Amino acid sequence: MNIQTEWRDYDVLVVGSGGAGSHAARAASEAGAKVLVLSKDPIGCSDTKISEGIATVRQCSADDDSEQTLSENLRMAGADLPLSKITDAFATDSIDAYDQYRINGLRPPIDTERQTPKALPLPMGGHNRRRSVGHANSGIAFGHASCDAVIANGGIDYLEDNWFIDLVKTTPTDEHPAGDVIGGISYDAARGCLVAIRAPSVIIAAGGLSTLYFPKTDTMRGNTGDSYAIAARAGAELVDMEQVQFLPFCLTSPPSYEGLLCGEPVTASFLGVLRDNNGKVILDGVYLRTRAECSAAIMRAVEEGRGSPNGGAWLDMTANKTPPRSGPYFMKFLETALPSAYRNARQALGKAAAKCDEAWEVRPGAHYHMGGIRVDENGASVSGIGDGDSQSGIHGLFAAGQAMGGLFGANRLGSTSLTEVAVFGSRAGNAAASRARQVGVPHHTDSQFNDAIDAATGLFGQAGTTSAAKIRLELQQASWMAIGPLRSADKLQAFQADIERWENQLQDISIPGYTGWNQSFIDYQELRNMLETAKAVSAASLQRDCSVGGHVRLDGKEVSLFSAPYSTLVHLDNGGVQSRRTPRTRTPFARAIAYKFAEKKARLKATLLRLMPATLQDKHLEKRYRAIMGASGAAPMMPGGTEAATADAGNV
Amino acid sequence: MRVTIVTHRDGVEQEIAFNYQKREDNERPMVLDVLLQAHLDSIPDLAFRYGCRARNCGVCTVDINGKPRIACRARARAGDRISAVATLPVTSDLVARRDGIARQLHGKLAGLPRHNDLNVEAPDDYHALTACIECYACLDQCPMHARNFDGTVPHQIEDKDSLPDPSQGYRWGNPFSLLKIQRYRLDPLTTEPGRQAGIELAESLGLDACIDCPGCKCGVGIDLKRKVIQPLLQQSNQQAETGD
Repeated sequence: MNIQTEWRDYDVLVVGSGGAGSHAARAASEAGAKVLVLSKDPIGCSDTKISEGIATVRQCSADDDSEQTLSENLRMAGADLPLSKITDAFATDSIDAYDQYRINGLRPPIDTERQTPKALPLPMGGHNRRRSVGHANSGIAFGHASCDAVIANGGIDYLEDNWFIDLVKTTPTDEHPAGDVIGGISYDAARGCLVAIRAPSVIIAAGGLSTLYFPKTDTMRGNTGDSYAIAARAGAELVDMEQVQFLPFCLTSPPSYEGLLCGEPVTASFLGVLRDNNGKVILDGVYLRTRAECSAAIMRAVEEGRGSPNGGAWLDMTANKTPPRSGPYFMKFLETALPSAYRNARQALGKAAAKCDEAWEVRPGAHYHMGGIRVDENGASVSGIGDGDSQSGIHGLFAAGQAMGGLFGANRLGSTSLTEVAVFGSRAGNAAASRARQVGVPHHTDSQFNDAIDAATGLFGQAGTTSAAKIRLELQQASWMAIGPLRSADKLQAFQADIERWENQLQDISIPGYTGWNQSFIDYQELRNMLETAKAVSAASLQRDCSVGGHVRLDGKEVSLFSAPYSTLVHLDNGGVQSRRTPRTRTPFARAIAYKFAEKKARLKATLLRLMPATLQDKHLEKRYRAIMGASGAAPMMPGGTEAATADAGNV
Repeated sequence: MRVTIVTHRDGVEQEIAFNYQKREDNERPMVLDVLLQAHLDSIPDLAFRYGCRARNCGVCTVDINGKPRIACRARARAGDRISAVATLPVTSDLVARRDGIARQLHGKLAGLPRHNDLNVEAPDDYHALTACIECYACLDQCPMHARNFDGTVPHQIEDKDSLPDPSQGYRWGNPFSLLKIQRYRLDPLTTEPGRQAGIELAESLGLDACIDCPGCKCGVGIDLKRKVIQPLLQQSNQQAETGD
């Protein structure tokens, strides 16, 4: 088949237009680079836009929230897997990077006394300070900021409806054994052509992999592992790929709502507990727990046959609601703290559940990928021993957002990712622009693009008997069982054999010959990326033979304070996937014990509160709610008028 | 449940009957559920957009019986006819080309002076406008947007070569672009020159089309007439009267 190729030249190519991509593009453009943004979805339509819209802003509630305090909080929550250079960068930049959103139109509520954005009333699960800021219209407000960063300023070129296919590199030499990035090729579905982009710096900001678990996920459909597969095929190393974050409280039914978010540990409030199908409490003090702890408790109950009908557990918040004085405060808190999650619950579970007269059936859902492309604190690809170094990584390859690994390790604290995309998007944008300045126009010929162009062109008109959609469904069902929240070596090995079988079926996928918006070609490319990503996750999961982080390893041991932490590394080698470990620095015992002690103390207090006599408990809680919300209760956070929606009127 | 899905390939339109199989006895599926099943079971190369399944991302808008609806939150009913939104050119099946809309704002309000105190609250109306998810349901029946297509919709135009190129951004505006302009005007960081430039941009996009228009409908319930159109028209009149 014949498909035209359009050639373009840029200093910096950004793949993805969500939070990370838009910050990267803006930063690179401000640094003087000529920038192209490619996006398969419309500009800004990413996980950032559909998020809960809560961002981490250091020091927004307390002066003692130092850079060290935040950096250490991230590392300990991440079980010592995060690199201190990267968590330090997050803590250092978080305030200024957040302000970039504000420059692009994000308007948070203001704490007029402190002259800072106003923190939510409670620290989100696992945070050791109140430093999470909520926004009117949740993530949609961030979506406008992303969109405006790319479009409104006018200095950035962009193409949407573009599926980036592969990076193109120079031929490896002794000096540059990994080869240098010189651009890449993309399928422009709207215009029905290929685009070949020559650029010395490419930033991958193409999101995560949660679509591997569809529909057990609350994220955008486009999370087909593109970031990881594109980088891995170019020879980059991936880090902590087994660390998928599952949000504990997602809906299980009805089918249209399956996987959507209905709450967070903190919204379970002071008396919320998790129960198994027999009504037994399997986790209390839920509001103080990390997402990983809640997910693990639910999935262990499921594994032991005590799960709810749809393979989850029961989130019981009735005790919060019943007390006469504090009950109304709780309901106000629940309705306003995470409005979009509450809306999902009300629509899916009905009135009695929405009033918390009944427990909610919940099951973990894939939400975020903590692993990713192995990079340094500026988002540059690294490889080698220890923290890795950019000299031995892929020169010219950068990553930001979910695409990168090394920041959150085994667990990501709520509200940190919206800040992450601003911090590392900006850093990657600056680093990419700086490299482009140093390197200038790369020495290459267009022939180096030919293999990638020929491979893509050859797929149009491929004869076959199956469809990518069918294989994808099989892969998604198997992913939940093998690389979902419960894992074991047996299942992982069987899964790897399945992946090999599906990869062999790729050449039997029927792809029509027309070049304009060819859905079969698109599905093929996304499936190829999902398979490669699943391969990386399974290899890393086998390497991680114990329970650390967002999933439970059924055949592995628990880790203790004395276990030596390590990260997993994977890379592709002639189509096969290779994995190994790299040691990480353990937090000094004294600090770790103090951290654990504070955690235990808070939880003990939560348990005591739950067991207190009713009247006393009610009075105590009323006081606490009043302290955090003010006497009138928290202000509603969604003035956008969701009730009056005309496009779906009568359907709620 | 039987529905009709309208596909579109290489300029050829085709109506395909599809019978949705319910997954639970009392399931009331959304239109998106129907499309997902059709893609899997009977039309393997069916093209349609979707994203979050929770009415937040704004990309799954399709026409149901000729009216724009957000597919992930619109209940499917027997006999429904599902087609691409009529107000934009169809790229394939249910996918419409969207980028000509936002692109008309590319760089248009850049470079104007801004206030620099970030610690100010925005007015409620600002947040009301930020609720826009960019579903583009508001293009339906918009006389300003229709100016891009000789007063009608793209598929009514016989000579396809005379259609405007979306890659250049559309010449004439629409409620979404006006919303973005009004939001910019309400932003406490925008200075007086910025507010005036906003009005001028709205006028150049064809604000006069709004004068006798009964008003536009928002996909997520924003009161476009009161919060976007009327304030822009009023300000435009005032500036005309004072000779600004």
